[in-house]
Amino acid sequence: MRVAQLLVLALGTGAFLLIATLGFALIRRVEGFLNIAHAELMSLAAFATWYFNASLGWHFFLAAAVAIAITAVVALVIARLIYDPIKHLGPPILLISSVGVAFLIHGIVSAVIGVGIRSFEIPRLDAWTVGGLLVTPYRIVLLLLAVVASVALALFLTQTRTGKSIRAMAINRELAGSRGINVTKASRATWLASGVLAGLGGVALGVLGTLTTDIAFQQILVILAVAIVAGLGSLYGVIAAAFIVAFAMDLSLLVLPGGYRPVVAFAIVIVVLLIRPQGVAGSREEVTA
Amino acid sequence: MNWVQLAITVVTVVSILGVVTLVLNMQYGHAGLINFGVVAYFAAGAYTYVLLTQSPPSETSLDQYVIGLNLPPWVGFIGAALAGLVFAAITGWPTLRLRGEYLALTTFAFAEVFHSFTINEQRFANGTRGLVGVPRPYREELSFLDYDLALALAALLFLIIVYIIFERMVRSPYGRALEAMRDDELALITTGKRSSRFRLEVFLFTAPFAALAGAIYVAYTTLVIPDLFTAEVTFVVWIALVLGGEGSNRGALLGITLVVLFEELIRAIPFDTIRAAQIAASLEVAALGVLLIVFLRWQPFASLTKSTRKVARS
Repeated sequence: MRVAQLLVLALGTGAFLLIATLGFALIRRVEGFLNIAHAELMSLAAFATWYFNASLGWHFFLAAAVAIAITAVVALVIARLIYDPIKHLGPPILLISSVGVAFLIHGIVSAVIGVGIRSFEIPRLDAWTVGGLLVTPYRIVLLLLAVVASVALALFLTQTRTGKSIRAMAINRELAGSRGINVTKASRATWLASGVLAGLGGVALGVLGTLTTDIAFQQILVILAVAIVAGLGSLYGVIAAAFIVAFAMDLSLLVLPGGYRPVVAFAIVIVVLLIRPQGVAGSREEVTA
Repeated sequence: MNWVQLAITVVTVVSILGVVTLVLNMQYGHAGLINFGVVAYFAAGAYTYVLLTQSPPSETSLDQYVIGLNLPPWVGFIGAALAGLVFAAITGWPTLRLRGEYLALTTFAFAEVFHSFTINEQRFANGTRGLVGVPRPYREELSFLDYDLALALAALLFLIIVYIIFERMVRSPYGRALEAMRDDELALITTGKRSSRFRLEVFLFTAPFAALAGAIYVAYTTLVIPDLFTAEVTFVVWIALVLGGEGSNRGALLGITLVVLFEELIRAIPFDTIRAAQIAASLEVAALGVLLIVFLRWQPFASLTKSTRKVARS
């Protein structure tokens, strides 16, 4: 019974991880580097939503929509101002720069927000009992949201012109450019999409629990774990990886204290990097060559 | 504000973190290995030193730690260095296979696992409460001097020794082999060198110095809590290294001096309210981020501190 309850819990965790990692994985695939600041964008969206919703008294959906839009624009502006000019220096330098961006966003958000625990002004819903298992409504909403976000991203990448350009660019940037694809435009669209997904992840974070300004750092660890398990191959790998990591973390509660959940995620990272560094979907060369 | 006290603090902290920056510079600046878990050596040294030298847990206190060997400080320092070696062996063997950002993530992961362990395991070192009031080493023997001053001088001496060792290493044929590995690993392999051996050796050789710096850090703080050994230490050292220009030991020291001066000056400003102090601390984090971004992009000091320029890679 306890196992079944933890499996239900893990479904919600996996849904959140999926939303949180999709945008990160998209940037990694298309722009070719690990954007450590992704989790800070989530935190930005969460606190913007909190500000509009709890401080200014806006309706939750309006607050969330405006916050997500702001996050997407911030993601694009950061990319244009900071990442694009140093692209030629290679992925490690971009990775270290993104740590600087994470510090910058984190510093500004915590200067404005201050210390303390915040939560959205949304109704508190009681958990339902389904077949003896406790199911919280917000986790079901989150699961649906994860499905919608994944399907929307998949449709965007496979069915629209911009999406196809992004996929072409991810495989070979120069070739895509020389074949007449507007690489700059596709890159901007990628950043906006990543920003929207980060925004969605931030809102999900606030819906699931309470917010503190340190929340982003805890998230980036798990997001990295999911992204590594997924590998570079395809975004579909992210779906599998999000739930693998979620099940491992939540089932570890059977044998380990709760504080060890991130350790479980990182143990998976270490094992995956040493045994199958290309992830669940991907080729080996890019990792060790 | 007492300027003498501030100067002593800056010298102590610069010397301690300077050693860690030099270690990172050997690993990244010279050998090209991205280590995002450098705080782990520092923390391992600090914890090992305390576990070896503290008195055993008493029945009456609230302490939950189980190890306290009550050994003299010099054993603690040797133990700290050995702990650094062991941790480097654990984090170093993946380096034989992983490159670039994958190495960064693995080292980061190891450091976070260790950090979580120190937080969650009450029996190791009291968990988040940590160990406070750690006795300062050789306090009685040094009673003829102001202890803070003595510690600052000892830390500075240690930094100078590490600097000389690393400088000699960099200038040796071995150091040139490391730089060749950074610039073109394939070319190094074709000259008959085994680059995988070098990678592990760099970790094993440099980590004990960072661990020793951690042990000296305990003498400065007199407490060991997980909050002192977060990933922020790693990032601060990275910022310092990038600031001074990676690949140059002098640059690394210049960078950490600027960063520590900046942090200590902000901390020395008296604030009227807690909120004002909190805003200042947050903006300090933001400013460090800006420094990292700006210096990575323009590298203004690189031409001052680097004797040879890296060949541009396609």
